Amino acid sequence: MVTESRTSPDRASAPSDGTRARQPTRRGLAAGPDSVRIAWEEFGSGSPAIVLLPSSPIIHSRQWKAQIHFLSRQWRVIAFDGRGNGGSDRPTDPAAYHDDRIVEDIATVMDATGTDQAVLVGLCVDGVWRAIRLAAEDPGRVLGIVAFSVGVPRLSPVPTYKTEHSFEDELETDEGWAKMNRHYWRRDYPGFARWFFSEMTTEPHSTKAIEDAAGWATDGAVDVMLADREADFPFDLEAVEATCRRVRCPMLIVHGSEDRCQPIARAHRLAEITGAPLIVVEGANHMIPGRHPVLANLLIRDFVKGLGQTPGPEVAR
Amino acid sequence: MAAARAPERAAPEPRAAAAPAPREQARARYPDSTGFIERDGVRIFYEVYGSGEPTVLMLPTWSIVHARIWKMQIPDLARRGRVVTFDPRGNGRSDRPSTAEAYAEREFAADALAVMDATATDRAVLVTLSMGAQRGLLLAADHPERVAGVVFIGPALALQPSIPGREPVNNFMDRLDTDDGWAKYNALFWRRDFRAFLEFFQGQCLTEAHSTKPIEDAVGWGLETDPESLILSEIAPGIGDRQATLARIARVRCPVLVIHGRADAIRPHAHGQELARLTDGRLITIEGGGHLPNARDPIKVNLAIRDFIRGLDGGS
Repeated sequence: MVTESRTSPDRASAPSDGTRARQPTRRGLAAGPDSVRIAWEEFGSGSPAIVLLPSSPIIHSRQWKAQIHFLSRQWRVIAFDGRGNGGSDRPTDPAAYHDDRIVEDIATVMDATGTDQAVLVGLCVDGVWRAIRLAAEDPGRVLGIVAFSVGVPRLSPVPTYKTEHSFEDELETDEGWAKMNRHYWRRDYPGFARWFFSEMTTEPHSTKAIEDAAGWATDGAVDVMLADREADFPFDLEAVEATCRRVRCPMLIVHGSEDRCQPIARAHRLAEITGAPLIVVEGANHMIPGRHPVLANLLIRDFVKGLGQTPGPEVAR
Repeated sequence: MAAARAPERAAPEPRAAAAPAPREQARARYPDSTGFIERDGVRIFYEVYGSGEPTVLMLPTWSIVHARIWKMQIPDLARRGRVVTFDPRGNGRSDRPSTAEAYAEREFAADALAVMDATATDRAVLVTLSMGAQRGLLLAADHPERVAGVVFIGPALALQPSIPGREPVNNFMDRLDTDDGWAKYNALFWRRDFRAFLEFFQGQCLTEAHSTKPIEDAVGWGLETDPESLILSEIAPGIGDRQATLARIARVRCPVLVIHGRADAIRPHAHGQELARLTDGRLITIEGGGHLPNARDPIKVNLAIRDFIRGLDGGS
């Protein structure tokens, strides 16, 4: 039963949303310190709560469509659209995409859903680095982290194929990573989205996963993507590593051997710093929860069960 | 560090009919028993999954594929009953006889009865796909005591005129001056480039978006037979023309379910409609579905078969 309707009057167009395997039990909009509204959905019940973090603004919470119905059979699952896509507000000021704001959004959604503590599950920088920050800075709120496709900036150099083309300059080519370019985004953002998720999902038989992700990307907007791109990353390597070292909760690291977004060296380094176990998925690229859902679901399930928390009522805030 | 496996990247394979059979993939469920029956020197390989009543016999379809065509049905159906499959003569672990007569429809039907005998199956619900409709119809019409009901998926029966554009198929054994489209449905082309035919044909069977995996599967199963065996199966005696087919249909007394894709490019939806009408059967249409809904819409198909079987329990 939907207890609250979601409205987002300033949304350009309704996100594409096929028939779902499971509908939310509750949904709402939560506003944090800077008043940007974040659309969240809650599924199922049972402790501990699991919060699925968005990889936004490029895509939104439907990225977890293959996890939600499975995990919510035993646990309360909360998914939310990151600022800039889905049902959340879409500021176009780069300041709105500062790292601190994205971390605040996790806490804002946890507050709005009465979630004192949760297991955080994330993918890439938006999921993994922000989960690590919250666990380091507010350890009481994070029971554990499942870190897919480790996006922790600075832990290894950026691959050269990502840096050989300028993002800002007009380029003479649109081939490959030359599509990671402001002018190309403006010219053909859907073309960028299709190329990018094809590049992120090179496993055979990925046409559906690519179509889905490219669709979620075009639910968003290029202005938002540019604002997010312009936001500073305010940490150097030393600060990043120090933050990772402060994580005390259990963590599971999962990384594909063929990841074209985040170098696997980052996963190895994060495992080294934190002592967390690392699962390398041979043959997998970046989009592990979407493209290898059974594997991802079982890893999350076993991790949550392994936390050894005795089931009991959650503490309401 | 632990390791997990993701599907391997698709490696380019040599485009030759003699390419080695691919290693079989992991199965969701393995058979509880397997065996061979032998008729006139031809050995037929069968598998039995699960236990209980009723037995569901998944008939083979055209020898272009083998019993793995049912891979999406077996694990589900075997949770609630007993499932028997067998490989058609000409593919899988069954023999590849060398005469067209050996691929006659009556031989496939006789194989089914022999497999039922070998597995102590007095009576079964038959599930058929495409060409399998012909052997299913033979069994239901001529051996009603052995058949509790029939599910026809994308039935290929001589009920409707052939589809425009399929004319090259009428010159199957002749040299054609083109390889385009359905001109690939030709014995000489099969001998020349069997894989290209399989890729074309399975592409016609699996027209839905996101079908790369079932196409790859079906092409792989096709490569486990050879052009000569498939040519023999193509020119083998069927169950006859429209009149002969109608006469057999008129003798069917058991409950019938027809499942047909609205967008079936091999056997138009009208075939399934007519078969359902003639048998007083139920028709389930898969909107947007192609010729192999068992592969492409397995959950819908599995639930439809489940409900059909439940209905039989209630009615008997």
